[in-house]
Amino acid sequence: MTAPVIVENRETESVDDLSRPWKVIVWDDPINLMSYVAFVFRKLFGFSEEKAHRLMMEVHQDGKAVVSSGPQEKAEMDVFRLHEHGLWATMEHDS
Amino acid sequence: MSHPSWPFLPTEVGVEVNLQEHEQEVLENLIVDLRHLLMADAHDALRRLKPPAHPDNEEAEAAYRELVDDDMLRSRLDLLDVIDHGMNGATLDEEGVGAWMQGLNMIRLVLGERLELDGADLQSHELPEGPATFLYEWTGELLEFLVRAASG
Repeated sequence: MTAPVIVENRETESVDDLSRPWKVIVWDDPINLMSYVAFVFRKLFGFSEEKAHRLMMEVHQDGKAVVSSGPQEKAEMDVFRLHEHGLWATMEHDS
Repeated sequence: MSHPSWPFLPTEVGVEVNLQEHEQEVLENLIVDLRHLLMADAHDALRRLKPPAHPDNEEAEAAYRELVDDDMLRSRLDLLDVIDHGMNGATLDEEGVGAWMQGLNMIRLVLGERLELDGADLQSHELPEGPATFLYEWTGELLEFLVRAASG
C-alpha cells in the first residue's frame, strides 16, 4: 500500500474538504429505551441483532457511537431518519 | 409466548393492539396534545424531538432545519394519524408498528422534557410523583411491550 501524499495547497484542501466523508453519531438520551434504540438501529441500517445491541450499549455506556458514514447527503438522510425516530444524532466530518 | 392482557400481541400477520378502553382514551388524549404541540412548533416542549444535527455550526444547522423541518412535521403528523386509525383490535403491519413506536417515543420525550428528567434522575429511579410521571412510565411500558411483540 502506498502512503497518501499530503499536498500543502489551500485550494486542494478545500476540494478535499468537500469530498471528505461524514460520520453520523448517536448520543445518549437517557429517556430513550435501550430496546427501542437497538430496534431503530436494526430497522434503519439493517444491522444484525448483535451489532445493533453492541452499538446501543456503546451509546449507553460511552455516551455516543458512530452508526454510519458516507457522503454529506447520505449522512444528512441518516440523521433525518434518526431524528424522525426520536434519537439524538449529529453529523461531522470523518477525521 | 404472550398473555391475553398484554397491550400488544404478536400474531402471524403482525402485532395486534390490545389496550383497555380507558387506556385507549388516555392515549388518544396524549396524541391530541402532541399534535397541538407539533402544529404550534412549541420549542421548549419539543426540544428533545428536534436535536441539532450540527451543534457547532450555526450556518449548517440552519440549512439542515430548512431542509428537513417541513418533511419532519408532515411525517410526524402522518404517523399520529396512523395510530388514531389503528386503535383497539387493529393488526399493525410493519408501517403501523413503526408509527406506534415513534408516536409512543415522541410522547415520552415530551413528557420527559416536561418533567425535566436527566440521566441522574433516571439512574436513581427518583422521579417526581404525579400524573406526568405515571404517563411517562406507562408509555415506556407500552413501548417496551411493542418492541418485544415486534421482535417476535
